[in-house]
Amino acid sequence: MDFKELDPVLHSQLRLAVISLLISVKEAEFTFLKEKTNATAGNLSVQINKLKDAGYIDIIKQFNNNYPQTICKINSKGITAFENYVKALQSYITL
Amino acid sequence: MNPEEINMTETESLQLITSMINKAKNRISETGLLYLLWGWLILICCVVQFVSIHYFNYPRAYYIWYSTWLLLIYQFFYLRKRKRNRKVKVYTSEIIGFVWVVFIITYALLVFILVYIKATAGINPAILVTYGMPTFLSGIILKFRPLIIGGICCWLLAIASPFAGYDYQFLLMAFAVIAAWIIPGYLLKEKFKKENKN
Repeated sequence: MDFKELDPVLHSQLRLAVISLLISVKEAEFTFLKEKTNATAGNLSVQINKLKDAGYIDIIKQFNNNYPQTICKINSKGITAFENYVKALQSYITL
Repeated sequence: MNPEEINMTETESLQLITSMINKAKNRISETGLLYLLWGWLILICCVVQFVSIHYFNYPRAYYIWYSTWLLLIYQFFYLRKRKRNRKVKVYTSEIIGFVWVVFIITYALLVFILVYIKATAGINPAILVTYGMPTFLSGIILKFRPLIIGGICCWLLAIASPFAGYDYQFLLMAFAVIAAWIIPGYLLKEKFKKENKN
């Protein structure tokens, strides 16, 4: 049986939650991701940076009404990684 | 142990993906406010114009349509504020925005051509024909049946429009606005309230 290896970057609760949210929208603010995942700001920040370092998401830092704003967006590498992760999961589940 | 590094089973992973996608998907950002503001304003304009032409034989009531400029200015500031406060940008609202841009361009070009070829009698039916398109498509994209029905109503009223007199065409437009903006607007408002309460 051909078992595909699960991407360690995505096989983590919070990082997978973030990528799953970002795959459904065009872009999301940090506060939106925090609200939906119920994560702490510190932990979310660390995990988002790991996703960015893996090249899966783009982070845009800007100011909105003088307040700093962090916007996250999945990119094509992230979409491919997510698709491969889901395919790998299916290879385990459809045994 | 870091809670983020807990080993998930494959089933748990799939459940997490599904739940997150649903959380993002269920977010309805359409409050129905613009549908209602435009709906009521256009309804008032249509009724005023019908009454003035039909009962008072006063043809200059079209001045009332200039009130739409005020709403356009309000809409500009409202959308700018909404854009600033938005925490997430979804594909559907972007596509719907473009659908309405296509409608405005198509309608403006059509009016220009009809005026140029001196076929102004076709302007009101042209509104009904083109207006069905953004309403129907918004309904399909939002998966919101009242808008789909509203779009179809516009097309049915468009079929009737060549047979109606100039004054009655404003009544047909009033019905179209009720079906395509006012009723869906109130239903969207209800849906928004219900879904954002949770």
